[in-house]
Amino acid sequence: MFTTVCSAAVYGLQAYLVRVEVDLAGGLPSFQLVGSLGSEVKESRERVSVAMKNSGFQIPPAHITVNLAPAGRRKDGTAFDLPIAVGLLRDMELVPEEALQDTLFLGELGLNGEIKKVKGVLPIVQEAAKSGIRRVVVPGENAMEAAVIPGITVWGVNCLNDLLAALNHPELETEKVYQPRIRAEDLLREGTGQDTGDFREVAGQENAKRGAEIAAAGFHNLLMIGPPGVGKSMVAGRIPGILPPLTLKESLEVTGIFSVAGLLPPGQALITRRPFYAPHHTVTQAALIGGGSGIPRPGMVSLAHRGVLFLDELPEFRKNVLDGMRQPMEERKVQIARSAGMVTYPSDFILVAAMNPCPCGYYPDRNKCRCTQPQIEKYLGKISGPILDRIDLCVELHPVDILHLQKTKTEKSSEDMKRQIRHARERQAERFAGTDCRFNGDIRSAQVEEYCPLGEEGQKVMEQLYRTLQLSARVYHRILKTARTIADLEDREEITGEHLLEAACYRPSETYWN
Amino acid sequence: MAEEERKYAYFLCSTYTIGGVRAERLLARFGSPRAVYEAETEEWRECVGNSAAEALERQKKSGEWEREYGQLSEQQIHFLLREEKGFPGKLAEIPDPPYGIFYRGKLPDENEPAVAVIGARECSEYGRYVAEELGQYLGRAGIQVISGMARGIDGISQQAALSAGGTSYGVLGCGVDICYPAQNRRLYEELLEKGGLFSTYAPGTKPLPQYFPPRNRIVSGLSDALIVIEARQKSGTLITVDMALEQGRDVYVVPGRLTDRLSDGCNHLLTQGAGVFLSPESFAEDFLRSWEEKQGLSADGSGGKNRRKNNRETGRNTSKVKLPKESLQKILECLEPVPKTSETLLQELWEKGEYTDISALNRALMELELLGYARQNSPGHFSTSAN
Repeated sequence: MFTTVCSAAVYGLQAYLVRVEVDLAGGLPSFQLVGSLGSEVKESRERVSVAMKNSGFQIPPAHITVNLAPAGRRKDGTAFDLPIAVGLLRDMELVPEEALQDTLFLGELGLNGEIKKVKGVLPIVQEAAKSGIRRVVVPGENAMEAAVIPGITVWGVNCLNDLLAALNHPELETEKVYQPRIRAEDLLREGTGQDTGDFREVAGQENAKRGAEIAAAGFHNLLMIGPPGVGKSMVAGRIPGILPPLTLKESLEVTGIFSVAGLLPPGQALITRRPFYAPHHTVTQAALIGGGSGIPRPGMVSLAHRGVLFLDELPEFRKNVLDGMRQPMEERKVQIARSAGMVTYPSDFILVAAMNPCPCGYYPDRNKCRCTQPQIEKYLGKISGPILDRIDLCVELHPVDILHLQKTKTEKSSEDMKRQIRHARERQAERFAGTDCRFNGDIRSAQVEEYCPLGEEGQKVMEQLYRTLQLSARVYHRILKTARTIADLEDREEITGEHLLEAACYRPSETYWN
Repeated sequence: MAEEERKYAYFLCSTYTIGGVRAERLLARFGSPRAVYEAETEEWRECVGNSAAEALERQKKSGEWEREYGQLSEQQIHFLLREEKGFPGKLAEIPDPPYGIFYRGKLPDENEPAVAVIGARECSEYGRYVAEELGQYLGRAGIQVISGMARGIDGISQQAALSAGGTSYGVLGCGVDICYPAQNRRLYEELLEKGGLFSTYAPGTKPLPQYFPPRNRIVSGLSDALIVIEARQKSGTLITVDMALEQGRDVYVVPGRLTDRLSDGCNHLLTQGAGVFLSPESFAEDFLRSWEEKQGLSADGSGGKNRRKNNRETGRNTSKVKLPKESLQKILECLEPVPKTSETLLQELWEKGEYTDISALNRALMELELLGYARQNSPGHFSTSAN
């Protein structure tokens, strides 16, 4: 007897349907799995037979062949356990044929018959909905994630016996099967509050706070320079909180990446908060950019997609790791090629980097800093030009005098910043409608003149800046982009001299890099 | 001196271990550079010791020096012996003067005052400020600036003097055809064009640590007075000061704060009676008076006195400046030569009742920079401009 069960797999973020063909025939008893399988899939045979035995089904002594089609494509992961078991049950005539129609099965089996969570459910369900599948059967823990996609019935099941009961007796369905009903929009609305801390809690560091605000408004990359312990991490950690909430489209993208990486918390349907990732400086290139054996996994740059990637102690990162950041920063996506194919993960994040100004941390205070000029140059030289070129804003932090602070404490909270940022984002959405740019930070050099036109006054100030500060063409463009965002923050279309002056103030300094 | 003899003089000068003293001793014994060259190694050994004799022998054997000598004019490098015309008089008078020097560009004008400005390579912003202001003042006043073209104080003061239209001379611890440190390339080129570069080392000599202390004697030897801007307690700068005192030069020292390690050396010199440098103006007045007196003694008044008085221009207009906006004026009043962070400025303004925020302050500071009153030292540090 022969049965086909529908299942699916992901390669990168791309899901594709897999037909699990199970054949039970006479002959010498055996159990074979074929179809270009990774080791987890091959092990599936043992898990399935023991799980079925422990759930009370005796696999008949027959010649069993399981093929996963398309057979030429390599398959990894544990999600095929359940469809193989379901195929066998159908062959044993324990499941009605119509129960398998237009239904997709995913799930890993435990030896006791329980169904465990798997990776990549969201992209698979998205693909299934497109291919006309009407029902997906997924592990209970993945049910919420699957239920985000409208127009498809989701069954969350926790063990093989429950599934069998529900498939045979529709009246038991509600009892044995978890069927979450959620609307993604509601989740997003509820989940927008982010407990990342408020900027009001950061004492002093006005420059850094302002820099963070501009960075968040225009999706600019930010570099903070300052001695240890002045609050660089504090500022960075609060940036996701002032970014506008994720839109549904963004949320689905982010959730898809988390789903593939297997990092979606159990029972959570969607990622509703902007991600914030702060890898330690010993991180490997594969962990940061993505990679690994088998199907390349997404790295930190992709997990921080639509959020913030914070690199503390930037010069301490290995040079090859930093250089690997070039493509993700330039193209806002990571492409990892393997002989089996190419995987593309998005990586559209705000880079927030922090560093000491020299190995000891006190430069340019020459009384404390005894680093020699070559030492400082070597330290700063670890950050390659291409990375620096992508950094629009550079601010300095200094140790603060708590006693004096009370007097000048500005009460600008994250909420205030958020409001202004929302204006700025709306302006950008309007400006970039129908283009491949999304924010001012995405503007390429060639587009600067189009998007950042200057009036007569602005032109004059810019010329003066160019001459007085001896700007390079690159810095010139960065100043214009930043000024564009500052004007947007004030809800103004025209870039004035004032905006340019402030933008110039945050340009990466020639004291540090000349 | 005959051309043939000059060639052998070059042989002596291009041997590193042969300085002024040894050259003198060799010449006293053998009579002429050529005779020195033709002498046996044994004879050298008796005269100048083992290692110098070996160095001479190596140099003689390699024969490289002869080719190098031939290339001097091609490289536009001048070679001048102490006994020849044009050799800087001041340098010839120092104890153990060098036997010969190499230079590119010009020689310092003997009839004009020259001042050496020296200090720490890793200088503070305070040192940078003083060096810039002083260099500029000296440049405008037509006083020649002599220094070592090093990073930090040396290079900054020389660059400032050149930018202000003055002349400056660099004394190198390597061959004059080598720009060290490499980052001073621009200064090197400008010195070539507007002043000169000196060395006692033959062209092609690589900069090695042991070459630098001896060159400091040349720095002070070429000048009439020495100004020390910043120096740690143990530093090369203090070695130069000792040499300058030995050569009878006046030493002026820029005082610093007690807490600044970079001023320890300076303050220490002050306790020993060095002249106190309070401003470029007061220094110039003091220095020029004594310089003119000396000139009067040695060259019976060349009339330079009046000319210089006219030339001398007060360095910086310290009176209140008129600014387009009153708010800018208030901010400018808070700025000092030593850089402050913008957050400190913000606090000071608040204490004065000027309630502004960081974004407005940054805009104003950059405007002041464009107007030439302020200077952004790093993204978050601002000071008054030295201009």
